[in-house]
Amino acid sequence: MKIRNLILSALLLGAFVSAPAFAGPVIDWDPAYVYGPGASTTVALTGAELKGVGIVSMFDGPLGFLDANDPTKEYTFVFRGLIAQPTIISGIPAFTFYTTNYSGGIIELYEGSPRNSSFAPNPENAIVPSTFQDGTLLLSGTFTSFYTQTNNFTQSKSGNMEGTILWSGGTLLPLFNGGNGQPCPGLFTGGITWSTEPGVGIPGYVFRHDGKIDLNCPTPSAPSTWGQMKARYRD
Amino acid sequence: MKHVAIALSLAILSLVVPRTPSAQAAQLFIDYFGYDYESPNPNPGTFGEPGSVYNSLGPAPNLFAPLAPDTANNQYTYFFTNLAAANVQTFGSFIVIDYFPGGLFQVWEDAKLGGTFYDFGVNPPNATAPATFTDGTKFVEGSIDQFQVVLNLATGSGSFDANFTMTGGSQLSNVPANQRTGWTFAGTTANELNRPSGYDHQVDGQIFLNEPTPAQPKSWGAIKARYRQ
Repeated sequence: MKIRNLILSALLLGAFVSAPAFAGPVIDWDPAYVYGPGASTTVALTGAELKGVGIVSMFDGPLGFLDANDPTKEYTFVFRGLIAQPTIISGIPAFTFYTTNYSGGIIELYEGSPRNSSFAPNPENAIVPSTFQDGTLLLSGTFTSFYTQTNNFTQSKSGNMEGTILWSGGTLLPLFNGGNGQPCPGLFTGGITWSTEPGVGIPGYVFRHDGKIDLNCPTPSAPSTWGQMKARYRD
Repeated sequence: MKHVAIALSLAILSLVVPRTPSAQAAQLFIDYFGYDYESPNPNPGTFGEPGSVYNSLGPAPNLFAPLAPDTANNQYTYFFTNLAAANVQTFGSFIVIDYFPGGLFQVWEDAKLGGTFYDFGVNPPNATAPATFTDGTKFVEGSIDQFQVVLNLATGSGSFDANFTMTGGSQLSNVPANQRTGWTFAGTTANELNRPSGYDHQVDGQIFLNEPTPAQPKSWGAIKARYRQ
């Protein structure tokens, strides 16, 4: 009876057996910059939009065939449409934490030529975001979650932001399939700093983001037979 | 007499007057990403407990001037170590961990051909980590102070920052003596599904160097006038 239950459970899970997974970020950047009325180092304006632009510095995994350092090409991304929810303030006056969740939002990765983008101050302007969203749309997706975490006490004014991406479009979308015919979710993650030091901060942007995207694939699986399954659980 | 003494002291200090701190700039020095773990780790169920030592390692794919890497022929890896937890404070779901001074940050250069490719393995320290991250030539070494980790246990993510001072490595002479201090920050997350077993967080960070404090030439008269006020 126990064996039957185990087999049935496995069948409900797709009758698959685990196989090794790959690791590593598919997209890495240094940096991206964040702006918009929904961006704040402390309390975001509820309902306001958060946006950002970035330049890819490295690809790996299923995108490892792309060369981010190709002098004839530029890989850039934009995100926008993230709508600030009420900022959650916690802690004590000397150690105050600001957590802002965002709803909605999209992200797009482009391959363009020539290398024409730059983090021009005070976006939006003639360069931002237009030079980050030109060329071929390689990937696009929507955020299913997104938040920023800041504080009032770290010496280098640092925190982090993170979101989950549901990939849905672009010429390279098929490369993100996780083995079940569905794209693997993306984990958009990394540190942020709101230091305004020249060389770090840029006027008009709230955060510098050092981050990456990982593919959070469910553990890959391989087809198995009834016989193999029963033999496995007879052990 | 007092004014003369002050003026003479300033003369010894090379007759320079620093600009205001707000004019200070920073330049990107090293970009790194990897995973962190604690070793020793007296209580594997908690992070940052007294007696635990923070370690982080991974590739350092982007190294910036005045460093002179040869990325065509070498792989570069980083290693944070010797960071002993000093104090943990809890604020709701957030924890703030402060570490004792004396931490180390290193970048190692290892040949792609004939070298050993880095391997995280599982449950570090293990046979390949940190060994395959700390082989070859020590490219950069620096001290880490005021290392502080902030984690939100509810979201599983956070950040750290610290002061950095370059003290050694094959590239030391490439970095001017008055430009070896800086800082680092990173994001950390436990939400990556492919994190190797035994590592606590994924880490993605950068180190900046402070540019030298600029100085302006001043005459004896200007300096004396300044200190007569």
